Amino acid sequence: MSDFQDNYPQYELDALHDEAYGKKARRTLWNVFWIMLVITIFELIIGSMAPGYGWSGSLWLKTLFIVLTLAKAAAIVIWFMHLGHEVKFFKYIILIPYIVFMFYTIFVILTEGTYSGTSSKATKIDPIFIEQQNALKHGHHASGVSKTNQEENPHNKNQH
Amino acid sequence: MSHSAEVDSKEAWEGGVSPFKLSYGKMFMWFFLVSDALTFGGLLISYGFIRHKYAEVWPKAENVFTHFPFIEQHVPLAYVGLMTFILIMSSVTMVLAVEAGQRMDRKGVTTWMFWTIIGGAAFVGSQAWEWYHFIIGTDQGALRNVWDPVSGTYIKQIFHGANMITNEYGVPQFANYFFFITGFHGTHVFSGVVLNFIIFLNVIKGTYQKRGHYEMVEKVGLYWHFVDLVWVFVFTFFYLL
Repeated sequence: MSDFQDNYPQYELDALHDEAYGKKARRTLWNVFWIMLVITIFELIIGSMAPGYGWSGSLWLKTLFIVLTLAKAAAIVIWFMHLGHEVKFFKYIILIPYIVFMFYTIFVILTEGTYSGTSSKATKIDPIFIEQQNALKHGHHASGVSKTNQEENPHNKNQH
Repeated sequence: MSHSAEVDSKEAWEGGVSPFKLSYGKMFMWFFLVSDALTFGGLLISYGFIRHKYAEVWPKAENVFTHFPFIEQHVPLAYVGLMTFILIMSSVTMVLAVEAGQRMDRKGVTTWMFWTIIGGAAFVGSQAWEWYHFIIGTDQGALRNVWDPVSGTYIKQIFHGANMITNEYGVPQFANYFFFITGFHGTHVFSGVVLNFIIFLNVIKGTYQKRGHYEMVEKVGLYWHFVDLVWVFVFTFFYLL
C-alpha cells in the first residue's frame, strides 16, 4: 500500500496579493459594476417603453435583451467569480458541459415541443383569457366585466 | 500572484499536484454551482416554452408588477429595478470582501461582508413584498372560472390576486412559474444570507486570520455571485421580455 500524500500544495495561498495589486483589482471591479448598472438601467428604460402585448416587443428587442443579459452574465462569471483567473482547462471543464447541456435542452424542447397541445386531451385555453387580453390590447381595462353568456367551461370540455 | 499561470501539461496529471491549480473546496463549489445552474436553466427553458405556447394570452409583466412602496401611482418595473440594483450592489460588496481577504485585511472583510448580508436581507424582504402584492392582487380583480369544491363546478366570479390554480393576471401557468422560479431563487438567496452570516461570524472570531487565508470567504462568495447570476436571467425572462 502506498502511503497517503499529505504534502499537497496549498493552492489557497495562490490568491493572496499585495496592496498595489489590490488597488488595480478594485478599480476593475468597480468598472464592471458601473457597466452592469448602465446596462440594467438601459434595459429598464427600453423595457418600460416597449410596445406590443403578450410576448412583448419585436424580435430585435428580444434579441437585444438576451444579448445584454448574456453580457452581464459573462461579466459576473469572468470578473466577480474570477473564472477569468483560473487555469484554461478548468474554464473548459466548467463552461463546455453547461453550454452543451443548455443547447441540448433547448433543442429537445423545440423539436419535441411541437407536439404539445395537438392531442385532443390537451387543456384548452379558457375563452375568458382571450377576451380579456384582446380588450387590453385595444386599450380597455382588464377588469374583465365581459358581456358574454358563455357558460360552457373549457375545463369540463376536456372530460371526453 | 501566481494565478493565471498555466500548468505544465506533461507533469500536471502525474499526481501530487492539482492540474487545475485549485483547492479541493473551491473546485467542488464550482461543480455544485454547475449542477445548480442546470436546474435553473431547465426551469427557465421550460418557462420560455410554456410562455411561447400561451403567447397570445400571456400577461405582460409591466401590467402586473406596478407597485412601489409609499407611492400610489403605478410605476411599472421600478420595484424590480430596485431589487436588481440591490442584488448587483451586494454582489460588488461580496467581491470586495473577497479582495480584502486576499490582502489579509480582516477589517475590510468584516465591513464588506456586513454590507453583503444587509443587501441580501433587503433583497429577500423585497421579494416577500412583491409576493404579497402579487397574491392579494388589485382591487378590481378579473372575471375567472373559479372551481367551487362544494358544488363541484366552475363558477364565474370576480377573482382577486393569485394562487396556484387561478390568478387575475392571466393563465394559471403565469402564477405557477412566478411562484416556482422566484421562490426557488429566493430560497437560494436566503440560504446564501445564512451562509454569509456564518462566515461573517468566523471572520469576526479571526478563524481565517489564524488559518492564513480567507478562501472560505471566496467560496461563499462564489455561491453569492451565482445567486446574482441567476437573478440576471430571471429578471430578463420574467420582467423584460
